Amino acid sequence: MAELTLKAQTPLRGYSNRFGDTRLSELSDTAIYSIGLALETAPALKAIKNSLGTDWPEPGKSASSTDGVYRLLGLQADQVFVLFSAATASDGQSQQLPNLGQNTYTTDQSDSWAGLYIEGLSAVAALERICPIDLHSSVFEIGRVTRTSMEHLAVIILHEAENRYLLLSPTSSAQSFLHALETSLQNVIPIPIDN
Amino acid sequence: MIINHPLLGPRDAAEFVYLGDASLINRPDSATSNAAEQFYEYLYLRDNVAGEMRELWYHEQGDRSWLVVTRNTLTHEISNVELARDVARAQGRNR
Repeated sequence: MAELTLKAQTPLRGYSNRFGDTRLSELSDTAIYSIGLALETAPALKAIKNSLGTDWPEPGKSASSTDGVYRLLGLQADQVFVLFSAATASDGQSQQLPNLGQNTYTTDQSDSWAGLYIEGLSAVAALERICPIDLHSSVFEIGRVTRTSMEHLAVIILHEAENRYLLLSPTSSAQSFLHALETSLQNVIPIPIDN
Repeated sequence: MIINHPLLGPRDAAEFVYLGDASLINRPDSATSNAAEQFYEYLYLRDNVAGEMRELWYHEQGDRSWLVVTRNTLTHEISNVELARDVARAQGRNR
């Protein structure tokens, strides 16, 4: 039998493109886990604090561990997403989510979501045409997170830094989501004036 | 229409799915002797209110929570929004 070597690929094949002053690029090497709370919340919150080094974020907010390894996105009253680097270390081992005990439900969702960074001066202008949420910094402050839909496609939005947003959308419709963003960016980028 | 979500703030109605009368929270106990009659009423008999009505809405494109929305069916004015979980707990349910 032929020796086959398969190489893992991201949903958007490492997409990266510049639109005027704004860049759209795919998130890579990131593991995404969901953590759900069982009815007994106190031991679960303690296990998360001990293992991940951060408090449970309220819905709409995000939190990072002090060492910056884990980033928690508060999506529901009893569910968060955890993002952390999945880059393979020099010993060939990739990082795993620690065992959080019996009072949480954890699911590996890494292959279910395509991630896109949109960064630049036209980011908000491009997003506000297709997003029902007001994403301006004065309303949707840095560190805020929310789940909504754009062009009928589900999306999780994290305001990571000034003019920099992380967008997560299901893998199955990732190409359509990318197309919606590309189209909106092309519609808002300033046209260079020659003279 | 804007629904003022108790946890997330004002959200567009397009993010929600409508279910209907909030009395659907009160599912009858199947162990009681007249369970069949109670389930008949629970499933099929609905008030069709022209005015203020309590309804269940599901935030599908959001935090996946069930809400009890008090809405005037004549004017679409929304006067109150609660988490269905809180409503059920206030009625003595444990979750």
